Amino acid sequence: MTANGEPSADTFAALHELLGPLNKTGVDLKPETRFSEDLNFDSLVVMEFVATVEDCFDISIPMNILPDITTVKHLALAVEKIVKADRG
Amino acid sequence: MPGIFDRFSNLMGQRDAILAGDGADPFQVRMDDVISQTEAIIAGKRTILCGTNNYLGLTFAPEALKAAHDALDAFGTGTTGSRVANGTYSGHKELENTLCEFFNKDHAIVFSTGFLANAGVLSTLMGPGDYILMDADCHASIYDGVRASQAEIIRFKHNDAADLDKRLARLVDKPGNKLIVIEGIYSMLGDKAPMAEIVAVKKKHANTFLLSDEAHSMGVLGRYGRGLPEEVGCEDDVDFIVGTFSKSVGTVGGFVVSSYPDFGMLRLVCRAYIFTASLPPSVVASATVNLGLVKSGGALRTRLMRNAKVLHSGLSEIGLKVASDLSPVVAVVAPDPQVAVAFWRGLIEAGVYVNLALPPATPYGYSLLRCSLCAVHTEEQLRKVVSIFESVAINLGLIERKVRRSAVG
Ligand SMILES: Cc1ncc(COP(=O)(O)O)c(C=O)c1O
Repeated sequence: MTANGEPSADTFAALHELLGPLNKTGVDLKPETRFSEDLNFDSLVVMEFVATVEDCFDISIPMNILPDITTVKHLALAVEKIVKADRG
Repeated sequence: MPGIFDRFSNLMGQRDAILAGDGADPFQVRMDDVISQTEAIIAGKRTILCGTNNYLGLTFAPEALKAAHDALDAFGTGTTGSRVANGTYSGHKELENTLCEFFNKDHAIVFSTGFLANAGVLSTLMGPGDYILMDADCHASIYDGVRASQAEIIRFKHNDAADLDKRLARLVDKPGNKLIVIEGIYSMLGDKAPMAEIVAVKKKHANTFLLSDEAHSMGVLGRYGRGLPEEVGCEDDVDFIVGTFSKSVGTVGGFVVSSYPDFGMLRLVCRAYIFTASLPPSVVASATVNLGLVKSGGALRTRLMRNAKVLHSGLSEIGLKVASDLSPVVAVVAPDPQVAVAFWRGLIEAGVYVNLALPPATPYGYSLLRCSLCAVHTEEQLRKVVSIFESVAINLGLIERKVRRSAVG
């Protein structure tokens, strides 16, 4: 999986479901939806959201990569990469 | 041309909304005179201090004052230099030796603040290919430290040893070192780490070390004030202890102690140790003397916990939501930041100072009136604090006046 690859529909669906309750701006959730600009996530919400994603996929998302994850697509790709590395 | 601070406009808007209305600015409190460890003059008013982290009340210990005065006269007002240049005096070395004895560890390094100790140690202890597993509720200085590190940073759920275990298990095939980072007592709510469980998890996993920030538990927990590891009986399993002199020790400065071989190596690589001036000799002298008082301060610890009980049960009984277990930090939860500010203003106007703590600096997004106890608070002072909390909360409609059996007429 590369940063340019396309994440699977399943990953998107799972992330959309997790994002639903946090989507206070009511924007349409698309792969290019941005956490900060479109969803108005502040640092606290980001932390909560990361924790729910970690629980859902049973992974650890290192803090180091968070600055590079600005859209739902980035997150989906990162999640898939970690899942693949963990499960071999 | 965009203004330099335009990117903070959201934050400024939030600040203005939260601070709207009349009253003092909670972030610009000025003490015009300090009467004692528990009283000061703020805005012309005699005020009970109930949020200073001065747990043992050692800021005016006569022995420490004398030592500080002597050091001031003998060595001057400052060292004007880094620890690795002209800023290490005999006092700094004596303080480090005293810390080694205090904690029964082989090495101690003194920094200029606890913030710098965390920033310096956490940015250098682990390197590329290593992992830091930190409790999500750790202090800002720990966050800043690990961000500057080359290691991979993983957060585990606050005080959840099982979550930590799960995350370590995922790293089982990774060769790097793993460092667990926790605090003995967490600063905002005063809750303790489940240290015995965390040590058990640490022992299950290879190449795994434990660092505990004992900022709020040193002097408070353990027979000799060595913090949570002493209380739990696992001092040999805590590889690195970070601490501060700015709370129970009653002055300013930070340190790290460890018995790990070659630990002194950090003096050559910690930028927060090398590129800043060392503590002034008077501060070093008072810290050294106060460490002795912390160690022999069993009676102070008993009084501190008795005071914690008085305030904790007093505030709970009038119907306020107290977020913490019994500890020298007693955090009252307000419904939102605006109410918290109004609450804080009511308290300060009536002569009580506590810390106002707002999200994102707080866990669970809480808006807190954070009190901390001092061993030398009197019971009378604490009853007054509770009764002022009660009238302010009634005025704000947060609680109803309790009908007391003793009330007549
Ligand atoms: C948990 C914790 N660690 C570190 C520090 C920093 O200590 P210092 O005041 O010495 O910089 C503090 C307090 O400020 C703290 O609460």
